Amino acid sequence: MKWQGHGNAVPLQKEAKMLEMESIHKRFNGAEVLKGVDLKVKKGEAVALIGPSGSGKTTLIRIINGFVVPDNGRVVVLGKEIDYRKRDELRQMRRRIGMIYQLFNLVDRTSALDNVVSGALGRMDRGFELISSTIGLFSREVRERAMELLSFVGIEDKAFERVDRLSGGQKQRVAIARALMQEPEILLADEPIANLDPKTSQKIMELLTKTNREKGITIITVLHHLKSVRDHSHRVVGLKDGEICFDGRTDCLTREHLSSIYGFAGEYECAAA
Amino acid sequence: MRSSVNLSHYKRVMGQGTKARKFLLWFLLIIILALSFKASQIDIRAFIDGMPHALSLIKEMFPPDFTRWKRIITLTAETISVGFWGTFLGILVSVPLGIFSAKNTSPNAVIYNTSKELVNLLRAVPNIIYALIFVTTIGIGPVAGVIALMLATVGLLGKFYAEAVESIDPKPVEAIEAAGSHKLSVIRHAVFPQVFPLFMGYNLYALDHNIRAAMALGLVGAGGLGIELFTQMRSFNYQKVSAILIVMLIIIIAIDRVSAYLRKGIIEGTLFSANKFRDYVLMAIVAAMAFISIYFIPVDLKEIVYGLPRIWEFLSNMFPPERSDIPRYIWLMLETIAIGICGTFFAIVISIPLGMLAARNVTHSPVISNAAREITNFLRGIPDLVFALVFVAAVGLGPFAGVLALALHTAGFLGKFYAEAIENIDPKPVEAVEATGARFLQKIIHAVFPQALPLFNSYNLYILDRNIRAATILGVVGAGGIGFELIMSVRLFEHQRTATLIIIILITIMAVDRISAYLRKKVV
Repeated sequence: MKWQGHGNAVPLQKEAKMLEMESIHKRFNGAEVLKGVDLKVKKGEAVALIGPSGSGKTTLIRIINGFVVPDNGRVVVLGKEIDYRKRDELRQMRRRIGMIYQLFNLVDRTSALDNVVSGALGRMDRGFELISSTIGLFSREVRERAMELLSFVGIEDKAFERVDRLSGGQKQRVAIARALMQEPEILLADEPIANLDPKTSQKIMELLTKTNREKGITIITVLHHLKSVRDHSHRVVGLKDGEICFDGRTDCLTREHLSSIYGFAGEYECAAA
Repeated sequence: MRSSVNLSHYKRVMGQGTKARKFLLWFLLIIILALSFKASQIDIRAFIDGMPHALSLIKEMFPPDFTRWKRIITLTAETISVGFWGTFLGILVSVPLGIFSAKNTSPNAVIYNTSKELVNLLRAVPNIIYALIFVTTIGIGPVAGVIALMLATVGLLGKFYAEAVESIDPKPVEAIEAAGSHKLSVIRHAVFPQVFPLFMGYNLYALDHNIRAAMALGLVGAGGLGIELFTQMRSFNYQKVSAILIVMLIIIIAIDRVSAYLRKGIIEGTLFSANKFRDYVLMAIVAAMAFISIYFIPVDLKEIVYGLPRIWEFLSNMFPPERSDIPRYIWLMLETIAIGICGTFFAIVISIPLGMLAARNVTHSPVISNAAREITNFLRGIPDLVFALVFVAAVGLGPFAGVLALALHTAGFLGKFYAEAIENIDPKPVEAVEATGARFLQKIIHAVFPQALPLFNSYNLYILDRNIRAATILGVVGAGGIGFELIMSVRLFEHQRTATLIIIILITIMAVDRISAYLRKKVV
């Protein structure tokens, strides 16, 4: 399945900006990880973030949902500049951004359904809902929504299974359902298929694409697998040594670009070649 | 086979069995707790009424009166020496016993089973009961304390040693056996090098434990600071009491830290590598204390020999055990168990917030987590019998004082254990839940607790076991349970009664030990 551009062909540049990052710098223990990154992402885009290990991809992603605070630069998410010092503002913003991890980051020993409903916690942050959700009581509506999402990701039959008994692919599906439970506008995925076998990887990527298309959720994915990049994203952003060295449509990505990003082109069959 | 599914359908199919079982379990727990509350006379009003009294008691403790410092120093030295002697003699006995009761080194099945059961039996008797018996047979003084601790140490170390020996790598053993070596030299050259670090760690643990125990042994006259504490408490010299408490606390906390540090270093093999100077100094201090204890404060071993006929007389007088009061004793034992249960319950209630505050990955504030840690150190530092003594003065004689004492003392353990369990959880799911925009408490309950809960439960069961055991002797200071009956029977030389009581206590402790071990295995 090749990515053929966005389904309903609205001109991309006119759509609402989901994310704007301007001259982001970040140092860790003296090492400069990001050296002035500018990135704008529009609504409904599926962006693949590629680059060699240590190029700053994960740091960039974690800046977007506030787990890493940039040294300077401006981050505007969903039209609002992030003030990293205001905890509640940060929390409100996180609510609207889903995150999927390489190692799934599910709470073991609890059921798939329990993990999915925890995605609704951010929304239930006032009054009675706050108290009931904190002690683990969720309304029927929330639980049925979670069930629907489990069915969307294709594992409704595992709803009451403990997640540590699930396979890697099933765990990632639960994690996606949890992120979708937030009803996010942006979905961040940090190497979502790095720990999965090729066939499962393919299915998870298809699921993310389906999420992007059917729900219109903007997706930013850190990826290493170049075939998945080609098949499942509109746009590729290449990072090297903390700087963006490629930013364009997936079909414009050539072997030359790849060898400048990675130092070699590998097995990539270039659409534009 | 994807069909339209809904929640209630799945609940019917998959949720029901576990849900009914969960409900039943909670129901049983609540019933047991309610009965225990009743049996141990939990009385909020007594607690509230006792508060001003307790506060004035604390006020009367200040400023501490160190005028009897010479006596305090002498007795402290005696306490530490009792601890060292008990540990030292205990180690001497435990090494052969541990090897005999390990499956892979025991000469034959008969020796294996007898030594194993002997260790189990020794472990089941609380050290205060040993002390009581030896004080009456050998006489008041530190020797009784030393023998009591020695026996308790054998019960502890014998088991630890055997487990360590059983868990060794069999390959080097086989290699040395293949060379045709004698059994003893196999143990010396193949087994011993493997278990040595573990043994040293356990020895330090036993030493720590014994010095702590030695602080309380004086309450029944077996030497050390306890007797001075008891006397001053009885004569309402609270300023002198607080002076003793401060000394106890400092020593126990210091020894706790040094022992934990050295144990960690020995087991992880980091001793003498990272911070050489500090490690040598600490080792030198422990060695010097051992030397001083054993060389300058000698225990008159002759007393043990002279005491032997009297111990024999005591034991033979125990038979046949008195049977007329058994139903009453069983009721008292149930009250004792209730005290242990309630003490554990309140310890858990205190420890959940305390443990969370002490966990560095929850509070992110060194000031708060260190303060919470110091509170747990303080609570652990004061022996439960000493707490009981204070609470008897505050809320009156009876099981409620015992409950409060156990609750506070073991909250010191549970708070520390909980904090460690929380610090060891996987941070990744916690971040994921935080990334959904969850609030602090939502994050704790949905991502931290589910991970830490099995460990929490295991610790709770361990503390419950410990508390039921401890509750059997709280009666010594009038804090309820079967202990009062026991101490009276010993004091009145009603040896046949003593025998019945000890048998009931032993059966209970062994049963609780087994049940707790079984359940702990299940929850983790």
